[in-house]
Amino acid sequence: MSGPQQVNLTDLDLAQLADVRKQLDEELTHLTSSFQQLKAVQAKFRNCIECVRELKGGQSKPVLVPLTNSLYVPGKITDAESVIVDVGTGYYVKKTLPQATAHYNAKITYLNTNISALEEAIAKKQENMDPSST
Amino acid sequence: MSLQTKLQNVTQEFQKLQADMAKAVEARERLGTQLSENELVKTEFEKLEPLNDVYKLIGPVLVKQDQAEAKTNVNTRLDFIKGEIKRVEAQIKDIETKSELKKAEYIAAQTAFEQQQSQQVSP
Repeated sequence: MSGPQQVNLTDLDLAQLADVRKQLDEELTHLTSSFQQLKAVQAKFRNCIECVRELKGGQSKPVLVPLTNSLYVPGKITDAESVIVDVGTGYYVKKTLPQATAHYNAKITYLNTNISALEEAIAKKQENMDPSST
Repeated sequence: MSLQTKLQNVTQEFQKLQADMAKAVEARERLGTQLSENELVKTEFEKLEPLNDVYKLIGPVLVKQDQAEAKTNVNTRLDFIKGEIKRVEAQIKDIETKSELKKAEYIAAQTAFEQQQSQQVSP
């Protein structure tokens, strides 16, 4: 299979142009959806950091633990210094509060690199779609 | 075997190769995801201090694991995935070669068939 060729858009006939536009549209939709997914995951991690912050200084604080959607039992926090964090593939690690915060911050930074790469790709595709808008 | 039947057979075989290729590529992608996830866990484990307990999710239960055992498990899994990736990549290469040969066969069969058609029309 030959590599990507540079085709002048003015050389293509109407049917081919429509095809190219459709393909660009699909790619744009796919990239945008991936972008939104990454942003959602980032928001979840930020939420985790917020929860960890709230836990601080909560030793022996009374809590309500949900058994079902409408059934709670009272309990007490026995260990407000550590949390158990999901690290992937079914493994969970007990970390101290600062370790957990650092872990989530690292994940957020890692996602940021992917997100900026996606943003660049999306901007380029949009430019291809509609060069008059630049 | 008539040329038409031969053409149909070659087309079918080619399509089957395409389907096999799609499956193999999907498997390679899945393995790639598993590989990165396990490498993430491995880096995480390397940062572990003795006070960090490791738990494994078995059903709805978190079961405490021995740190050394968990590390060994992840490494074994990583090696297994790498082996699988090599195997699937070899499979993909193999299907690619067969595909190219089948394509050449198809073009030859089609040309022969078209020639026969034109000879029948204008003897």
